[in-house]
Amino acid sequence: MAVTRKRSKRFEVLAARPVNQDGFVAEWPEEGLIALHSPNDPRPSLKVAGGRVVELDGKPREEFDMIDQFIADYAIDLSVAEKAMTMDSQEIARMWVDPCVPREKVVEIFRGLTPAKILEVVDHLNVVEMMMAMYKMRTRKTPGNQCHVTNVRDNPVLLAADAAEAALRGFIEEETTVGVTRYAPFNALALLVGSQTGRGGVLTQAALEEATELLLGMRGFTAYAETVSVYGTERVFVDGDDTPWSKAFLASAYASRGIKMRFTSGTGSEVQMGYAEGKSMLYLEIRCIMVTRGAGVQGLQNGSISCIGVPGAVPSGIRAVLAENLITVTLDLEVASGNDQTFSHSDIRRTARMLMQMLPGTDLIFSGYSAVPNYDNMFAGSNFDIEDMDDYVILQRDLMVDGGVRPVSESEVIAVRNKAARALQAVFAELGLPAITDEEVEAATYAHGSEDMPERRVTDDLKAAQDLLKRGVTGLDIVKALGKRGFEDVARNVLGMLKLRISGDYLQTSAWVDGEFNVWSAINDPNDYRGPGTGYRLSPERWQVLKNIPQAKRPEEIGE
Amino acid sequence: MQVDQTLVERIVSQVLAELGQRQGAIAQPGGTADDGLVALEEMGEAKPGTRSDEVVVGLSPGFGARFKRNITGIRLSAVLRELLAGIEEEGVSARVVRVRHTSDVAFIGHTAAKLSGSGIGIGILSRGTTVIHQKDLAPLTNLELFPQSPILDLETYRAIGRNAAKYAKGEAPAPVPVKNDQMARPKYQAVAAVLHIKETKLVEPGAPPVECQVRFAS
Amino acid sequence: MNEQVIEQIVRDVLRQIRAGGSKTTTLADKPGSEASPQAEKKDLDPQRDYPLAQKRPELLRTATGKKLEEVTFEAVMAGQVDPLDVRITSETLLMQAEIAEGVGRTQLANNLRRAAELVRVPDERILEMYNALRPNRSTKAELLAIADELEKEYEAKINAAFVREAAEVYERRGLLRTG
Repeated sequence: MAVTRKRSKRFEVLAARPVNQDGFVAEWPEEGLIALHSPNDPRPSLKVAGGRVVELDGKPREEFDMIDQFIADYAIDLSVAEKAMTMDSQEIARMWVDPCVPREKVVEIFRGLTPAKILEVVDHLNVVEMMMAMYKMRTRKTPGNQCHVTNVRDNPVLLAADAAEAALRGFIEEETTVGVTRYAPFNALALLVGSQTGRGGVLTQAALEEATELLLGMRGFTAYAETVSVYGTERVFVDGDDTPWSKAFLASAYASRGIKMRFTSGTGSEVQMGYAEGKSMLYLEIRCIMVTRGAGVQGLQNGSISCIGVPGAVPSGIRAVLAENLITVTLDLEVASGNDQTFSHSDIRRTARMLMQMLPGTDLIFSGYSAVPNYDNMFAGSNFDIEDMDDYVILQRDLMVDGGVRPVSESEVIAVRNKAARALQAVFAELGLPAITDEEVEAATYAHGSEDMPERRVTDDLKAAQDLLKRGVTGLDIVKALGKRGFEDVARNVLGMLKLRISGDYLQTSAWVDGEFNVWSAINDPNDYRGPGTGYRLSPERWQVLKNIPQAKRPEEIGE
Repeated sequence: MQVDQTLVERIVSQVLAELGQRQGAIAQPGGTADDGLVALEEMGEAKPGTRSDEVVVGLSPGFGARFKRNITGIRLSAVLRELLAGIEEEGVSARVVRVRHTSDVAFIGHTAAKLSGSGIGIGILSRGTTVIHQKDLAPLTNLELFPQSPILDLETYRAIGRNAAKYAKGEAPAPVPVKNDQMARPKYQAVAAVLHIKETKLVEPGAPPVECQVRFAS
Repeated sequence: MNEQVIEQIVRDVLRQIRAGGSKTTTLADKPGSEASPQAEKKDLDPQRDYPLAQKRPELLRTATGKKLEEVTFEAVMAGQVDPLDVRITSETLLMQAEIAEGVGRTQLANNLRRAAELVRVPDERILEMYNALRPNRSTKAELLAIADELEKEYEAKINAAFVREAAEVYERRGLLRTG
């Protein structure tokens, strides 16, 4: 099959470059393998009669699928819609970017737009304008960052140590998932104990099947939920085993237990699952964002997420990914903006992709950053992992940008990892779970990844993990176990996490929790950007923290 | 550029060339329609099994029919042979059905599990993605899931068959070691999407699963 | 009426007694109790009163009527804290709904109001209801029965209407369980 011909040495060199390991495909518009501009995308339209939407983007109400109906009845504010829909799309696009137009005014216009209209507006922006708009439009002023903490063996001791280190590094949220589903209760437990050893108030979650995820939340093993997926076509929504109504009910179920949650969606999922109905990826994603808003969920994780290889393979795909983040915040939702999956073999491409969110800042720039080496990342790898951490920290320093993490010293990392491993050892002993040995504690303290850990008896762990749920163990039992074994500070932090549920303050949009268990959200830390000198600026104290990297040589010591 | 069979074949053959360098040749690219290796005869509507010592393997709509190779070019006949051999190695009998109403691996696996006398089923897509399912679980949960098709090799498929059989016998086996290649996504995801679009075009809504008789040419 | 609802009512009454100290308090004096889903607004100002835990802790009670400051590490170790003490109440959710409404987040406020009703539904039942709402899981009659249960057993009127609406949509779009 291969035709032998004389090769250019230059092209041989280029072919060997990492970027050429990536899989690129040309657009296939009829099947929806296109970022924007599918010929099947509808034209914007909205007709209202008798107080309800009777036509949405060219489709009459009788033909609405369940998503159309949910958007029409729950996501569009009819008190502003008719006026907003008559506005010129380019005019709205300019207001979006213009620092002199306040955020609230743009939010109000978007309350009344249909999915096709939003697509038309966003297509007027290039990526620089989108970043400008993101700086103004994100709901909370202070940016933040989320990480992944997992390992390929679901080793709980290592999870606890990595969770503690990640908290110390400054992540405000930590997410875990499992290699083997039945390990889930242990992973959630290890993440909780580890994170609260590193810093009180770090929010933790376990990405699992919907009902299981809710159960762990109800038991107090997790503080929030994120893996609650929504999709842009009816068929894919059903294949995802949900509807907008079941997902909205689930959202209320979480809130009824005082547990924060956000939905997840992303460009490319519909085409990946084979039912894009020929619509462009971004059009379908806008429908997901509007379903999220309609359900009354405070936020959304998007930015293609696990489907990033699909928009990443087509023209303008990474621009579409930034666009979906921007539309999310403009619909007044918290955004956890992706960057959470391996995206490219090329360091240049993956950095460029990440800067779209890091430079303007979002609620959670990564969702998340792999706090473990990518070989241990059970979300199949993140765009950046712990081995890139010094690069990332130095980018913050180079550009004077807050990426949501801080430089740390080796000694403080070793100390906090050791304490977390011992705290989990104590909890396991107190709850009668398979023992954690001192050897394991030592290994986790100094480990880089699961290859550095001794093996555990997996079948014993799995049995005990299931038993933990059957016995009805709750977060309070974890507090007691830590308290009894001398980890009072960690115990108080775990209790602090449970107490967040009493006030429900962290149910509000874009909420995170600081080390004193103060809640900061879009309400008490609203984005007030109005051009240079306003909005989020590094405080002198924060800049001191970010710029002082241990690698920097002190002039007074050079040559001495 | 037209994304069609030719493009997919070209990508697959490039991958094969690479794999060949690493592990020795696996197969020749661009094989013929049936490879002379396997026959899958559809025998009529699949019925729930009565024997408690069986595992049902649910094939996706295009498995072995429209598609002969998985995403990395491994012959699907060889994949199926390993799955079945793994099951039989544990002294459990195997039954193969073709699921036609969905191309979603979780639902294929769950459909197989519901047909299985033991309640244990395996679901597999043409591109290679595999799940071990149990009939009492929610469709989107599972006993073991192998989502990264590009890194599944024949040895892993055999181990998946063995584990499914162990669950059918009521044992609690150690899960098949989960492999993880974070670079599979950037390399294969868009190609996988194209393959899946093509497989999904074969879905027949409402069509019940059919029993398959499998014959391997010796 | 199930056990959890009875338990909730008993706890509400206990709470009234506690809150009133030696004075006699009637339910009518406490329009915001969990027993009444349509609690009166507290005229909360998002800028002034949020976060409630810092700015208005006196408004917060746990599901057993404890104050926020009573849920301490020491109390947990002494076995005086029940899992219900780290559960949100309907009343608190309605306050958060009011705050969300106050910053123009209508849909979020409505979600919190639905949640305020679901506080009364036990964990297992809420999971079952969620699963029943998933596609192709329930017949129309089954969904309508859930709506009736929500309305009659848990006074969850908004959720009942929401489930009835889902039943209609599922019927129109062929998402009901057949057979």
